[in-house]
Amino acid sequence: MQNLVIPASTRTPAIDFDFGKNYLKLSGESYPEDVTEFYNPVFSALDAYLATLGPGSCRFDFELIYLNSSSAKAVMMLMDKLDAAAAKGAAVDVHWFYDEEDDTMQELGEEFGEDLENAKFHLEKMKADVG
Amino acid sequence: MLARELFDIRSILRKQGIIFAYSGYVTEAVLSGVGEAIKQKLALDDADTKTLRSVFAVFVEQMQNMIRYSAEKVPNSAAELPLIEMRYGVLTIGREGDDYVVHAGNLVARSDVERLRERLSEIRSMNKEELRAMHKERLRAGPEKGSKGAGLGLMEIARRASKPIEFDFTDVDDEHAFFTLKASV
Repeated sequence: MQNLVIPASTRTPAIDFDFGKNYLKLSGESYPEDVTEFYNPVFSALDAYLATLGPGSCRFDFELIYLNSSSAKAVMMLMDKLDAAAAKGAAVDVHWFYDEEDDTMQELGEEFGEDLENAKFHLEKMKADVG
Repeated sequence: MLARELFDIRSILRKQGIIFAYSGYVTEAVLSGVGEAIKQKLALDDADTKTLRSVFAVFVEQMQNMIRYSAEKVPNSAAELPLIEMRYGVLTIGREGDDYVVHAGNLVARSDVERLRERLSEIRSMNKEELRAMHKERLRAGPEKGSKGAGLGLMEIARRASKPIEFDFTDVDDEHAFFTLKASV
């Protein structure tokens, strides 16, 4: 399946979905002009991949410096998709990396993590050189 | 005369500690440009990471609220063009003591004032834990009636602010009131 790689822009995060390695990553800042336009292709690619995953394993890293309120909704939808795949038997690990100098992003990660019922959630500090 | 007029406006702003002021039609491109300048200015001020991100986050939500909800729109008469909505708003960023203050204002329909006032009073009275719980609930609940977003922007502003948010309304004409929201970081 075709990997999805979108470089970061000022207002949109980098998408690095390596489906061959079952390693997916979203990093940077997210406050797109049009949230739907940016995230729809990301949702489609993730849906197509998760549909083929079955009992396989996958890891999703969120390394977000900043996201606005409408992007929070999109992130929740990504989390829901991952959790649904885990409910169907996939081994899904979600890692939320936060900058330790910004506790708002840590709290937001905790909020998302609390709602994951089947995927495994890991809350981690970003390495100092990121962001 | 010419210089004096504009200099007087500038002096009023500077006296109030204002670093950035924008009054006009707000667009996503304005958000991008002013946003970058704010990041640069705060970095030069040696603001810590948390302050920089919080001022920026409040700025983004305030701008997007005006872009989406201001009741003062450019009349769009060019029917053959795709619908472009430009809305009018005022936004300033300044210092008050050690705080950065993001202050925004725009017209709203008078019929929306009570609903907005109730929602803002509720948010203003909440502590960080309550805001977190409400944010989580609303994120899942989806957009409220009459809202184009999930109503999350105001909560994000309150969560990022270091003091309770302040807001006010004043009637402008039979249909409109001027709404202002101020957040300190």
